[in-house]
Amino acid sequence: MGEKLLMKGNEVIAEAALRAGCKHYFGYPITPQTEIAHYMAKKMPEVDGVFVQAESEVAAINMVYGAAAAGARVLTSSSSPGISLKQEGISYIAGAELPCVIVNIVRCGPGLGGILPAQCDYFQAVKGGGHGDYKMVVLAPSSVQELYELTVDAFNIADKYRIVTMIMGDGILGQMMEAVEFRNQEEIIPADKSWATTGTEMKRDNNMVTSIYINPEMLEKHNQKLQAKYKQIEENETRVEVYNCENPDIIITAFGTVARIVKNVIKTAEKEGIKIGLIRPISLWPFPTQEFEKYAEVPKAFLSVELNAGQMVEDVKLAVNGKRPVHFYGRMGGMIPSQQEILDKVKEILK
Amino acid sequence: MAYNLKEAAKKPERLTGGHRLCAGCGAPVVVRQILRALKPEDHAVIGSATGCLEVSTFLYPYTAWKDSFIHNAFENSAASIAGAEAAYVAMKRKGKAKDETKFIAFGGDGGTYDIGLQALSGAMERGHDMLYVCYDNGAYMNTGIQRSSATPKYADTTTSPAGKKIPGKMQTRKDLTEIMANHHLPYVCQTAAIGNMKDLYEKAEKALYTKGATFMNVLAPCPRGWQYNTPDLMELNKLAVETCYWPLYEVIDGKYIINYKPKNKLPIRDFLKVQGRFKHLFKAGNEYMIEEIQAEVDKRWEALLKLAGEEA
Repeated sequence: MGEKLLMKGNEVIAEAALRAGCKHYFGYPITPQTEIAHYMAKKMPEVDGVFVQAESEVAAINMVYGAAAAGARVLTSSSSPGISLKQEGISYIAGAELPCVIVNIVRCGPGLGGILPAQCDYFQAVKGGGHGDYKMVVLAPSSVQELYELTVDAFNIADKYRIVTMIMGDGILGQMMEAVEFRNQEEIIPADKSWATTGTEMKRDNNMVTSIYINPEMLEKHNQKLQAKYKQIEENETRVEVYNCENPDIIITAFGTVARIVKNVIKTAEKEGIKIGLIRPISLWPFPTQEFEKYAEVPKAFLSVELNAGQMVEDVKLAVNGKRPVHFYGRMGGMIPSQQEILDKVKEILK
Repeated sequence: MAYNLKEAAKKPERLTGGHRLCAGCGAPVVVRQILRALKPEDHAVIGSATGCLEVSTFLYPYTAWKDSFIHNAFENSAASIAGAEAAYVAMKRKGKAKDETKFIAFGGDGGTYDIGLQALSGAMERGHDMLYVCYDNGAYMNTGIQRSSATPKYADTTTSPAGKKIPGKMQTRKDLTEIMANHHLPYVCQTAAIGNMKDLYEKAEKALYTKGATFMNVLAPCPRGWQYNTPDLMELNKLAVETCYWPLYEVIDGKYIINYKPKNKLPIRDFLKVQGRFKHLFKAGNEYMIEEIQAEVDKRWEALLKLAGEEA
């Protein structure tokens, strides 16, 4: 590893993207992620890159469509209401199989909601917020260091599979300053981009980037191809952290910032003789179903703790498949559960 | 009745104290004066797009608004008020609504010039009986001073940072008042809170009580974004008008009327030098920027004079 710096999460995302070879950023202001745009506005002119502030989120995501179609490594970032506006573009990009990275620094909803941290966009991200049968890879960092590493990985994954990769954090991660250790050199995995629309120079056939297939046989084939690709991603790109799961009384599952709180709960609980394990999905899609299957019969119960009304818990239930009870504890509206609250819930379940 | 500040000030406040807008902010001055132009007996349905005005006056469970208030996302103020007006028209037709209700949408320049332009254009073209007010502070101030298409050229913002590689915002500002005039509306105007605020009040009165879709573009300086001393708000407004950066004019059924022609048009540098966002323009070697801005102001002012059938 190389340089170690104290940096704000949002700025780390921007820095990571630059290090991953992204020279095209299109954005639109929205709290709590606008520092990404500020950083890019400053840095892109210095590296001969492109920073464009669009007139709306709809415009920004379609600029991403354009740049990705031309083969560029491209980033956009927003927060929940802005991501909702981008959904049409995301579906088109998924249909056209273009690689790009989208950052969602989630805030609490619905509607304008508030700017405080939440995980209420889980469904939107992993079940497909836009129309059609599509998936995007969704990575959920839980530290500033992970914001860096996963952002770099996101570009490689996007290019490898020609897929949208989303980094999903929240205002705590985005606004928090934490030490981050940068590598001296990023691994930029070269990808075949011979499909890009870069001009034929009359030497090859036209490339076509589109998501429209009028012929139903062709569209079904296209969908089958997408599904096969998603299956491959499920096999190759699932990421998960399993912590303290040897013989626990209960396994808590949590992602992002909540997982950090849970780790402290685990320490406190140990002093009281309660053994808690943690399964932390890092990739929310593909969901680490296999890890849940592996540990399904180990604890007495599972507890999903989330900053929403109960979203990931549905995937946990599907994965545990009735072998153990799956409980839920959540806070909403920007409220964060205290360690004590979570511990009380654990005790209530184990009683 | 002729305008009288003392009399106008006696009218009840419809945007009350206790809101959280900054000291030296142009927005509440503008809003209060526009609402004073309402007949006290008339009820208003007011919409505001997300922005400083909305987040500072309408933090649930509090409101600083005496009238009915609808908030919607950034791009939707015009559409929401158009919908409310359409419902009111239907209720009136069925005899379910009796009193006189006025419909007003407020948006900042980000929510009006940029993301809300589609909804604004639609509402105006359809001719809803409503007033749209843009309070133009020339950037996305609420999210931390990002450039908008209303930001003047060379201004330093967080997404057009002035430095070695770029000299601030690279593009000139969009002329929204002209875009709205070209919607051929019964009433379009550009105004600012200057002097005893007669211009602003009288234009608001006309805009509110002209049947059909009307539009006001009102300058609303921002101490954080423009970087000026907060007590200088009214001076900033005055300089914008005296330099012809922000001409006061109205377009009534297609006829252009310039409401104020400065006897001695001040150089644009007078307006620029009191604002921190233009600080770099006064460094040696950057004189060309001020010259360019001056040329642009002159060009637009002369074009306006021509539209109004006046000589420079």
